[in-house]
Amino acid sequence: MKTFADVHIGDTLGPVHQFVSKDQCRKYANSAGLPAARFTDDEGARKEGLPGIILPGNMSLGLLSKLVTDWIGYDGGARMIRLSTTYRVPVQPDHTLTFQGFITHTTEAERRAEIDVWIENEEAERLVTGTATVQFDK
Amino acid sequence: MALNYDPNLIGRVFETTDAVEVKAERIQSFCETLGETNPLYADGKVAPPAYAVTFRNGRHFFQHVPRFGRAGFDAGKDVEFVRSIHAGDKITLSSHVKEIYEKTGRTGTMVFVVVRSTLSNQDGQEVAHIDHRFMSRT
Amino acid sequence: MATTLDLHTHSEASEDSRAPVEAYLNWIRLRHAERPLDGIVLTEHRQFNRDADYRHLEDKFGVMVLRASEVETNYGHVLVYGVNEDMLRRFDFANIRLDAQELIDEVVKMGGLAVPCHPGRPNIGLYEHYEKRPPLENVVAVEVLNGGSRKGEDERSAELVRRYGYSAVGGSDSHLVSLIGLCATRFAGAIRSVDDLVRELKSGDYEPVDFRPRRKPVPHAEAVQTR
Repeated sequence: MKTFADVHIGDTLGPVHQFVSKDQCRKYANSAGLPAARFTDDEGARKEGLPGIILPGNMSLGLLSKLVTDWIGYDGGARMIRLSTTYRVPVQPDHTLTFQGFITHTTEAERRAEIDVWIENEEAERLVTGTATVQFDK
Repeated sequence: MALNYDPNLIGRVFETTDAVEVKAERIQSFCETLGETNPLYADGKVAPPAYAVTFRNGRHFFQHVPRFGRAGFDAGKDVEFVRSIHAGDKITLSSHVKEIYEKTGRTGTMVFVVVRSTLSNQDGQEVAHIDHRFMSRT
Repeated sequence: MATTLDLHTHSEASEDSRAPVEAYLNWIRLRHAERPLDGIVLTEHRQFNRDADYRHLEDKFGVMVLRASEVETNYGHVLVYGVNEDMLRRFDFANIRLDAQELIDEVVKMGGLAVPCHPGRPNIGLYEHYEKRPPLENVVAVEVLNGGSRKGEDERSAELVRRYGYSAVGGSDSHLVSLIGLCATRFAGAIRSVDDLVRELKSGDYEPVDFRPRRKPVPHAEAVQTR
């Protein structure tokens, strides 16, 4: 179980490399009730001026959330209490995405860690950036 | 050119949605599409934190939240997770416009409308606060 | 004595950043070997944080904090150094349609310097505007290294420098703690105040420095299996 004492500024989350397919993107969009063309249909997405379908913002948020909860681990001891995301560049599926984070700040009194998180493409462009706060039980 | 909207809109709750019951199968399919294998979540009893962003506004959103220019994009979210969401919970969403501002970026002039929603469960307990930044290009 | 400063940073005072100044300074202290900065200049979006006082943090971390602004004009975004009451009375920093030429000229008259940032960026950089309209007069320096640049943007900025003979600065444009100092500017002279910074920027005796790490190639990753 992770404790606050285990966490140090500069510690890393990932990098995790994951290929996100168009199929996975469509399945997320449909299951989340977001069947818009820009998330499910290349032709329709291109009509909106996009290069093809893109991941819904909520899917990027979900994947970054998973980066943090995987880091926390499966046996509790801490919980994510905040996650903030900025969608800088549309995330295209059928690419290998890199998920990464750094512990940037800790507050002893509250036993909290602040984490920078982001999603990069193969060219190291940061497509989605965010910050998360994790609260430790002890 | 000043943005044209009713300033009284800011801070006033425009909608409280009907309760939506959380189904274990939906949590499971949400987990599957994100590749979530954490046993805390994968059986569908407890939702991963990011599940909070899947609850949607209703028709009042379109009646009350001003639109500027062409189709809106999700620019980012700031989510505060207060309590876990469990299968069987009945979640309502109560929303107001927090702020409206404009700025310029790579793609042109953009207007940001920030909608703040509070999610509550069947016991009236707050589950999450979500600041959702909608961006439209003018 | 040379001084290395990150000239373009956003703290949580900017609407799209959540980075506390304290965390920036702590990160600089931790990463000093790879990003040897003497200080940062906070350039909050469309505002000047007039009352902020970071002296206790400067003392705690041994890193200088200066304050400036990033404003929006008809020629793109511009960093304003040496912001004072005269400028704040003369211009509404929140206005996203400031006249760039007027801003550049007036800021110099009032004792500061305006430096167009990320000039190679579409829509909010000089390069694209120069293709349609006459170049601005009295530009001293532009930002050629920006930590948030996409492919080709810094290259276009460098082309402007070659074409117009501008001096060149660098800044991270950081909105996240861990990205502070990725690009910076190394000044030949000593800088201890905003007045020193404006003087040195006018001197032209500086160069942009790139502390961005070289990235390893991304391995091929497997897709997640979904039903």
